[in-house]
Amino acid sequence: MLFTISEFEPKYQDRVAPPGLTLIPQVLKTEISFSISDPQSYGQYVEGLNKFLKNYDSDQQASDMIFDTCADKPDDYIMRGAFNNAQGQKKVCRFKREWLENCSGIADSSYGYRDGKPCVVVKLNRVLGFKPKPPLNESLPAEVMGKYNQYVMPVHCSAKKEEDADKVGPVEYYGMAGYAGFPLQYYPYYGKLLQPKYLQPLLAVQFTNLTYDTEVRVECKLYGENIGYSDKDRFQGRFEVKFDIKSS
Amino acid sequence: SSPQDQYELYAVEMEKQDDGAMDVKIKKKKTTKAAKKKEKLENMKKEMDVDDHQLSVEDLELKYQTSVSKGLNSTWAGEILLRDGPNELKPPKGTPEYVKFARQLAGGLQCLMWVAAAICLIAFGIQCGQGDLTSADNLYLAIALIAVVVVTGCFGYYQEFKSTNIIASFKNLVPQQATVIRDGDKFQINANQLVVGDLVEIKGGDRVPADIRIITSQGCKVDNSSLTGESEPQTRAPECTHESPLETRNIAFFSTMCLEGTATGIIVNTGDRTIIGRIASLASGVENEKTPIAIEIEHFVDIIAGLAIFFGGTFFVVAMVIGYPFLKAMVFFMAIVVAYVPIRLWAVFQVCLSLTAKRLARKNCVVKNLEAVETLGSTSVICSDKTGTLTQNRMTVSHLWFDNQIHTADTTEDQSGQSFDQSSETWRALCKIVSLCNRAFFKSGQDNVPVPKRIVIGDASETALLKFSEITLGNVMEYRERYKKACEIPFNSTNKFQVTIHELEDPRDPRYLLVMKGAPERILERCATIMIKGQELPLDEQWKEAFQTAYMDLGGLGERVLGFCHLYLDPVQFPRGFSFDSEEMNFPTSGLCFAGLISMIDPPRATVPDAVMKCRTAGIRVIMVTGDHPITAKAIAASVGIISEGSETVEDIASRMRIPVEQVNKWEARACVVNGGQLKDMESEDLVEILKMHPEMVFARTSPQQKLIIVESCQKLGAIVAVTGDGVNDSPALKKADIGVAMGIAGSDAAKNAADMILLDDNFASIVTGVEQGRLIFDNLKKSIAYTLTKNIPELTPYLIYITVSVPLPLGCITILFIELCTDIFPSVSLAYEKAESDIMHLKPRNPRRDRLGDVALAVYSYFQIGAIQSFAGFTDYFTAMAQEGWFPLLCVGLRAQWENDHLQDVQDSYGQEWTFGQRLYQEYTCYTVFFISIEMCQILDVLIRKTRRLSVFQQGFFRNKILVIAIVFQLCLGCFLCYCPGMPNIFNFMPIRFQWWLVPLPFGILIFVYDEIRKLGVRRHPGSWWDKELYY
Repeated sequence: MLFTISEFEPKYQDRVAPPGLTLIPQVLKTEISFSISDPQSYGQYVEGLNKFLKNYDSDQQASDMIFDTCADKPDDYIMRGAFNNAQGQKKVCRFKREWLENCSGIADSSYGYRDGKPCVVVKLNRVLGFKPKPPLNESLPAEVMGKYNQYVMPVHCSAKKEEDADKVGPVEYYGMAGYAGFPLQYYPYYGKLLQPKYLQPLLAVQFTNLTYDTEVRVECKLYGENIGYSDKDRFQGRFEVKFDIKSS
Repeated sequence: SSPQDQYELYAVEMEKQDDGAMDVKIKKKKTTKAAKKKEKLENMKKEMDVDDHQLSVEDLELKYQTSVSKGLNSTWAGEILLRDGPNELKPPKGTPEYVKFARQLAGGLQCLMWVAAAICLIAFGIQCGQGDLTSADNLYLAIALIAVVVVTGCFGYYQEFKSTNIIASFKNLVPQQATVIRDGDKFQINANQLVVGDLVEIKGGDRVPADIRIITSQGCKVDNSSLTGESEPQTRAPECTHESPLETRNIAFFSTMCLEGTATGIIVNTGDRTIIGRIASLASGVENEKTPIAIEIEHFVDIIAGLAIFFGGTFFVVAMVIGYPFLKAMVFFMAIVVAYVPIRLWAVFQVCLSLTAKRLARKNCVVKNLEAVETLGSTSVICSDKTGTLTQNRMTVSHLWFDNQIHTADTTEDQSGQSFDQSSETWRALCKIVSLCNRAFFKSGQDNVPVPKRIVIGDASETALLKFSEITLGNVMEYRERYKKACEIPFNSTNKFQVTIHELEDPRDPRYLLVMKGAPERILERCATIMIKGQELPLDEQWKEAFQTAYMDLGGLGERVLGFCHLYLDPVQFPRGFSFDSEEMNFPTSGLCFAGLISMIDPPRATVPDAVMKCRTAGIRVIMVTGDHPITAKAIAASVGIISEGSETVEDIASRMRIPVEQVNKWEARACVVNGGQLKDMESEDLVEILKMHPEMVFARTSPQQKLIIVESCQKLGAIVAVTGDGVNDSPALKKADIGVAMGIAGSDAAKNAADMILLDDNFASIVTGVEQGRLIFDNLKKSIAYTLTKNIPELTPYLIYITVSVPLPLGCITILFIELCTDIFPSVSLAYEKAESDIMHLKPRNPRRDRLGDVALAVYSYFQIGAIQSFAGFTDYFTAMAQEGWFPLLCVGLRAQWENDHLQDVQDSYGQEWTFGQRLYQEYTCYTVFFISIEMCQILDVLIRKTRRLSVFQQGFFRNKILVIAIVFQLCLGCFLCYCPGMPNIFNFMPIRFQWWLVPLPFGILIFVYDEIRKLGVRRHPGSWWDKELYY
């Protein structure tokens, strides 16, 4: 049975789908805790973001052999044929780091941390062949509905608890064409062998007016028809992050 | 304090002294708390100083507030009963129930489990302290471990409890009745209701219900052999004859038999305060030696536990060196210990034993000490009693000599044998004498009972003759009515004959018939004629010689011979109404007509020769130890096969070759009959030498003390000895024996207490059944152990691979616990129901030093061959499941650190897919389940191959062991339940798995089966070869 396994397509994906929603930088105990006045205290977050976003630099995406220029506004799935190497490797859509604006690290190398306005980058875990379906427009939070696009998987971050809502303050989303979500033309993913340079779409989230010197718990949630959540796995389709920013 | 407490501190030794006197010595067993004990010792002595026998009847009445004519007042008796308790021997005081239970919870292994559970709890506590509430694994593990210990503890306790109950229920089977006089009226009450001061009646055939001071007696004789080993009947009379209570004639002891006569007496001691009661409770304080199987199991568990701790320790150190946190390393340690230690082995063992005990109970063997069952299986020598065990314990007419011919009577228990020619006139005459010259009679109201089973009042020979004539002639009682008895001279030891004179049936025939029976030579002396074919011929030298030959022949068979003659009295001299005087003997007692000889023997039980033969093929030596006469003993030994056909004793060879006994090469004599007198003069080395020299031994005229010496000598030869016994004095031998077997019918309570096993039907053949079952249990236990051990390897290798190659953990601790304590229990127990591989009784008994329960061959084969295949199955399935979900085997290697990092939510698999920690965890649980199923599937095949050790499974039959089939189905169902029951993933880490993952281990299972069939084939084809030695367990 070991030998019937395809190199290109996993036999089963029931354990890996629905996919997880993860944030960069990688945080310990889901906590981002730093002091504005101490660059050392947020060094690791900046480092993590730098490292992750390096792949999204435009010089990394130069080759036209590998990269495909897809529409720079959200569009439908791009199917690239069967899951095998009959046509060699598959092309990959470019994703410009600049689209993350304030959180791209280009203008502000500290990603807002030194101003006490931390950025996190949100990504949807790669799952081979997975085509996320945007939500039907019922039962979505009003904020999400506002910017609805049929080709975008919307993400929304808000206070975990109702009473913390005012502590979170305004949340800025930076993604392709200003949509707070993942555009569909990046899906489906064809796997490590066929798309070794695959760039998954990102969404930067900046918290511009967090309350300092207290713990603020924020939950970011991805909405979609085939997105699931689990009580046991806190990173499936959503994640939680705790900010503890010291003003001094 | 109660007398019971005091008794336990001392051991009583009873020794028969040269003058035949009994001496009870009280030995202090322990020396601590000297003062207190000294005081108790004084108490004890005081209690032994019973002076009731020296009191006058009036003093006695005063002391016990009773009356020798009216007995006790029944209300007063009730009060005494409340004060003293019932008149019965308390079973030896057991350990308190809670201590028994605690002991079940605090064995070596259990302690290990407790420590493990404690570590888990601490680990859980620390995790909680660190605020990590996500995984309660350690808590579950701790709970599981504790549950295991408690459940196995309860189980063991329950088993013990049950086996105690078996004995208890057995004791209540036959309540003894006693005749008591209270308020001047006679009652039949249960003997346990008797109290001190009660006036009781005893008569021939009764068991004395308590210690009794005799008040009146009519020819009362008791058999004190259960107390003293002396089988001569002793007279009991009202006079005090000795100052020692044990010597005097006016005390009859509890549980001794009243042989004949009647007596009344006042009870002076009841229950545990009786002499027997004291001895019994003292003897029961003696610790039993450990049974071989207990030693085996302990030995085995020690090795395994040592191995477990060694492996666990190694892993712990390695894990610490690699850089695991202490707690995690500790959990590894535990997982390995749990995987390795066959914790439920004791449970399985207990079940096997109690199953067998139940099976034996159905065959009339009550096993008191469960472990004794297996001991019986390794028995290499059985020292058996003769009377009642090998024989039917009833005198039976076996041969007749009349018409100058020896006829053989039917001696079978159910009268299924051939009868002899009964057409001769002589036979009719002889039969008349036998029926008439007999004082024995049937107890009334037994018309529907088969003759051999009817209760007869009378001595053994007369009983035999009565039953014989009842069977051959018909209703003897009525027959006697027809021939009215006119005079009688009972048998006495000076005359050695018995005479009765009867009127004839036909009223027109005025003659009297004189019939006489007695010792053959005395009878012959008084005869002038002999009846041959109904003709009276003069008794000349020729006939006398014929008589002598017949007499010698029958005597040589070890039979008791009686002669019979008659005479029709002259009607002129002795007309009807003649007053015969038995004192004066005013009638002729010589010149009679000789009718014939009848010989009697206590015949062997029908099943015994076969059973002895079975023992012999099973390599068990049967030694007869009896108090009987050497000739009788030898005859019985020969007839049951203890002395086989063609075997000769030294004396036989001497007489055959006509040389003096000293010149015979002793090694040529296979058989040997040693009597007690010879034994007395022997050094113990001599006895050992004789036991070595002659394979077929009979000890005759032995005392119970000598029995002990014989047992010890056999043990010196390295034998495992089973001993049968019934008297109190047998209890040392029963205790000393590796397995003591008491007789349920003839046995005294003391013997039953000392024994490990009780034969309810007193039948030797039951012992053989026991041996067979014992061997079966050992074999099945071995199979069960092999089965249990096998899976230790596939449980261990995941950890080995996990630590050394750093793959994600293939098998979790809880899963291991489930295999160990849940799914595999039933199949391993079901092996106990396996039938014997046909040749079980053709093998030599197990050599306790060489044939161990857990030997190297078994371990090596289970661990490194079958276990290895199972491990391969597990890993194949594991890697399949991983690969099909996206994790190729090569990627798995070294993956552990990333895999287990719960901060990494996007670990990439072989396709570049990103997995959150939660997703990986469920994948890990899937692997646990897959590995679990692999082990289960292999274990199903494993249990099938373990059905036999030598034969092919096809020869044994796949489905003959129904329980095993049920166990397999159960195992499968349980596996499915664990996999597919909702909620399992988060509680016990079982995931629903795909159907094909059930199939992956199947080829490996088939490989196991084929592999083992090849092994068995090799073992069968080439016995004794390298293959056999290395691969047969």
